[in-house]
Amino acid sequence: MKPSSFNYHAPTRVEEATALLAEHGDGAKVLAGGQSLVPMLSLRLASFEHLVDLNKVDGLSAIERVNGHLRVGAIVRQAVAEHSADVAASVPLLSKALPHIGHFQIRNRGTVGGSIAHADPASELPAVALALDATIEAAGPGGTRKIAAADFFVSTWQTALADDEILSAVEFPVWGPGSGFAVEELTRRHGDFALAGAVVGVQVSGDTVTKATIGLFGVGPTPLRASAAEAALLSGADAAEAGKVAASHISPVDDIHASGAYRTQVTAVIVRRAIEAALKEARS
Amino acid sequence: MASTISAGRYVGQAVKRLEDPRLLSGHGRYVDDVQLPGMLHVAFVRSNVARGTIVSIDTSAALALPGVRAIYTGADLNPRVGMFWHTMMGPPPELGGQTPYAPLTPLAGGDVRFVGDPIVLIIAENRYIAEDAADLVEVEIDVQQAIVGWETAIDTDQRVHPGTTTNVGQEFPLPEGPEVDALFAGAPHVFTRRFSQCRATNVPMEPRGIIVHYDQYVGDLQIWAATQSVSEWKATSSRLTGVPEHRVKVVANDVGGGFGQKMMMTRDEAAVVMAAHLFGEAPIKWTEDRRESLMAANQGREEIIDVTFAVTDEGVLLGAKVFFWEDIGAYPASAGSTAGMAGAVFPGPYKFPVVLPGGSSVYTNTVGKAAYRGPWMMETVAREQMMDHIAYELGIDPIEIRRRNVIHADDLPYTTCTTMVYDSVTPSETLEQALEMLDVAAFRTMQADARAEGRLLGMGVAIYIEPSAVAFGILSSDQAIMRMDNSGKVIVAMSTGNHGQSLETTIPQIVAEHLGCNIEDVLLVQGNTESSPTGPGTGGSRSAVVAGGAAMNAALKMKDKIVQIAAHMLEASPDDMEVNAGVVSVKGTPAKALPFAMIAPVAYQMPEMLPPGMEMGLEVTARFQPAGQYTWSNATHVCTVEIDPETGMTKILRYIVSEDCGRMVNPMVVEGQIAGGVVQGIGGVLFENMIYDEDGNPLATTFLDYLIPTAPEVPDIEVGHIVTLAPGQTGFKGMGEGGAIAAPPCLANAIHDALRHLGVHPTAFPLGPSQLLTMMNEAKQA
Ligand SMILES: Cc1cc2nc3c(=O)[nH]c(=O)nc-3n(C[C@H](O)[C@H](O)[C@H](O)COP(=O)(O)OP(=O)(O)OC[C@H]3O[C@@H](n4cnc5c(N)ncnc54)[C@H](O)[C@@H]3O)c2cc1C
Repeated sequence: MKPSSFNYHAPTRVEEATALLAEHGDGAKVLAGGQSLVPMLSLRLASFEHLVDLNKVDGLSAIERVNGHLRVGAIVRQAVAEHSADVAASVPLLSKALPHIGHFQIRNRGTVGGSIAHADPASELPAVALALDATIEAAGPGGTRKIAAADFFVSTWQTALADDEILSAVEFPVWGPGSGFAVEELTRRHGDFALAGAVVGVQVSGDTVTKATIGLFGVGPTPLRASAAEAALLSGADAAEAGKVAASHISPVDDIHASGAYRTQVTAVIVRRAIEAALKEARS
Repeated sequence: MASTISAGRYVGQAVKRLEDPRLLSGHGRYVDDVQLPGMLHVAFVRSNVARGTIVSIDTSAALALPGVRAIYTGADLNPRVGMFWHTMMGPPPELGGQTPYAPLTPLAGGDVRFVGDPIVLIIAENRYIAEDAADLVEVEIDVQQAIVGWETAIDTDQRVHPGTTTNVGQEFPLPEGPEVDALFAGAPHVFTRRFSQCRATNVPMEPRGIIVHYDQYVGDLQIWAATQSVSEWKATSSRLTGVPEHRVKVVANDVGGGFGQKMMMTRDEAAVVMAAHLFGEAPIKWTEDRRESLMAANQGREEIIDVTFAVTDEGVLLGAKVFFWEDIGAYPASAGSTAGMAGAVFPGPYKFPVVLPGGSSVYTNTVGKAAYRGPWMMETVAREQMMDHIAYELGIDPIEIRRRNVIHADDLPYTTCTTMVYDSVTPSETLEQALEMLDVAAFRTMQADARAEGRLLGMGVAIYIEPSAVAFGILSSDQAIMRMDNSGKVIVAMSTGNHGQSLETTIPQIVAEHLGCNIEDVLLVQGNTESSPTGPGTGGSRSAVVAGGAAMNAALKMKDKIVQIAAHMLEASPDDMEVNAGVVSVKGTPAKALPFAMIAPVAYQMPEMLPPGMEMGLEVTARFQPAGQYTWSNATHVCTVEIDPETGMTKILRYIVSEDCGRMVNPMVVEGQIAGGVVQGIGGVLFENMIYDEDGNPLATTFLDYLIPTAPEVPDIEVGHIVTLAPGQTGFKGMGEGGAIAAPPCLANAIHDALRHLGVHPTAFPLGPSQLLTMMNEAKQA
């Protein structure tokens, strides 16, 4: 389990990083926290001639409020975001999702941007980004562009980023008062990737749900939005019904940890539980 | 129940482990920590298909890579092998023995037989280069359909080992028993079930590892290895290479677990030995990485057990037939089935009038079977689940049916129908203690209340009797070589191969207790063929019993000599002396006393002060041979679970063990051994599944997929002790494997109890969430 050899680059500016990527094309790969990339290199499931390390790049590690959004720099450590009062206050769903990522040792190294750029369909943060309609900022040799989360996750481990682009930040919308959020996931053991997971945000006015978002992970090739279930919730369905609607729109596959049928069945359960928890919070 | 056996100054005390400061601060010395001048590194090219003929191997590009020093294939190494068999198992039939072995070669010969089969061995300046070279080797394989699963292996006309006539490794046919058939025919009830457990792997924290240097100028083969038995490896390496055994030196420093996997040298390690012998120039090191460990190191379990019980209306056992099917993969440690042992101990804690056992071990194109903590434990897995199935069939409480059949103190000594003789076991007492620790009535109330809310709680019980310290062949005895140096400090050399059993603490406890010195003045030397006696190493729950006995005997001999010298010096009678904390004194006259440090120099330097005729020096050797072929310990496990009815997730609420391992050397170590075994048992039911697809591809080759329980999944393990002494001088009973033996059926029974009112009656592991929810769905539809 030793990686094959590679050239290591440690740029300090975004332009340098993207220039390196442009120069080496698909022979280069970005290194962030290394918690997904390094195991793949060590198992020789992937090999790259060049690694471009983002850890020393300036300007990628801030958490800041920018016109109605919380902007999280790409290399903000998951543990830093997890313990950030700003994140807890502005994007509670992100705060709630972060502790579900692996173990604290992994979150100490792993980055918010890395998790989203890696686009593992069983990961929490891509589902959060999708559910909250986050905007992904991509930096390339020609400058930056914004990509809606809905357009970002193309398929398993595949994103809308070009070879010469890095994810530089993620902007999460901040919800107003009367909102509640919840994360529910099933894992075989503490810290494992989810067999099935749901992230939910709701906003209520009195007894009425005025805003609802449901993201699913571990049950498709990408994180999924349970749009039909959101619509059901907005039109008065209860949590159990919405859960069933969410489950009826997915077709997860089997693996050694659980069958696709299992994942479908429990999705109805965890969506229900997440909605109930989110509603409780919204109403409290 | 309080123990009536009083603890000594050391034996019976929870002495903190002497090895821990070193190990817990990260300063252990495992194989990979050993660095030798000029050392080179090994990587293997392994088969990525389960079965096929090797058409060609092209190593030219790899050889051209700078830093690559040698590349060997099966054609280079296999023909050089002298003999490949294990002392503990004895020679194969063609060499006059009785043990059937798979046709063992260090590297694959003309064909590959499982995914991970080593084909090419590369020696390079470092592991990175060696792995780069491995990527450059081109192996062309004519792929054939793999033989996967024991039923396929039996049905097919294809052979796992080409040229052989059967895929059966060893068979114990079910004995003919017309009177048993008649008994079954006339029995009030006869129940049959098939139980199975999935394949697991031992997962030592330190994977396999070996450094070998053949010094061709001196003629010595020097080995550093992660092994449970340096003697075994010395003899095996000598047979492999032809280097005479006295010129083979094997050292095992710290060994990070094994659970049976490191007892006998496997093919990969043999390949490194053969390669080093051929290469000659420099030491070569192979550190198995975790993927290799999960893909290619021998594995355990994967058994199917057919049981038929005849019982009365009251649930009294009349007899049993049991047949064990074992999938032993391609290259098991030996092709021998553990069915012989499993059948012999099948009656366990119950008064079975008759048991007819049989078994068959079957080769498949998967990794070979290892001994894994309680290698025969399929008998307890089947028997203890069967007791619950029968109880439910008859409408009897599973606890009650056990009480009606369990062996009591007044039955002892008890000879089972399979001729095992129990002299001091306490299955009934441990059962009652464990149930009391749980408070069954309170649990049943809680369970009923929970069920009224739609929650699923269950409790399980399992009892077993552990055949520890099996004494036959090389396992029959152990030796201690003890020396007291000039300053009165003691070194005891033993054949043990500590790999987590705390022997560095427990053996000095025994020595200090019986010699009468301070524990810090005793050092255990082991894992070194130059200084340790020949012996079987550590495994099979033997070291406390057999090595502990030898250590005690040596200490008593040494004490005797010390006392005689001191008495002579003090002009007193040896009978009037007492020894305490390293000081020999005249009873009642504490002023007349000599510390060991003043006695020892006399033995070495002042022959004129010794009793007349006494030999100089302070060295003794002693051996211990247990009285019986087995030293029986026993325990009862009880646990409670809650299962989420909507997701099938199991949470273990409480886990209780009541055990009797005789006199405890160190209760903390006993409890640690129990906890470790229980965790492995939990893993085997809920998490660990070394699964293959139909083409023989292993699907759990990283810890992302091979799930071992971690701290949050494991409850506190509550332990109660019952102490009845083993026959013989020490009173110790071995207990290293029991935790792993009883935990699987105990947990399965708890799950069964939680779900049976729904019509769910599990018989096959794993019982993960997906399996449980599927069974609940099916029961609902039925
Ligand atoms: C034992 C273990 C358990 C885990 N459990 C979970 C879990 O439960 N849930 C979960 O979500 N994750 C889990 N992870 C993965 C972990 O969260 C990773 O940190 C994360 O997936 C990747 O983040 P990273 O910063 O480590 O990225 P890296 O590993 O450095 O990179 C991952 C990939 O993303 C690319 N990349 C990274 N940053 C950028 C960027 N800014 N721009 C463009 N491309 C980029 C890299 O090129 C690479 O392809 C686990 C990991 C381990 C080892």
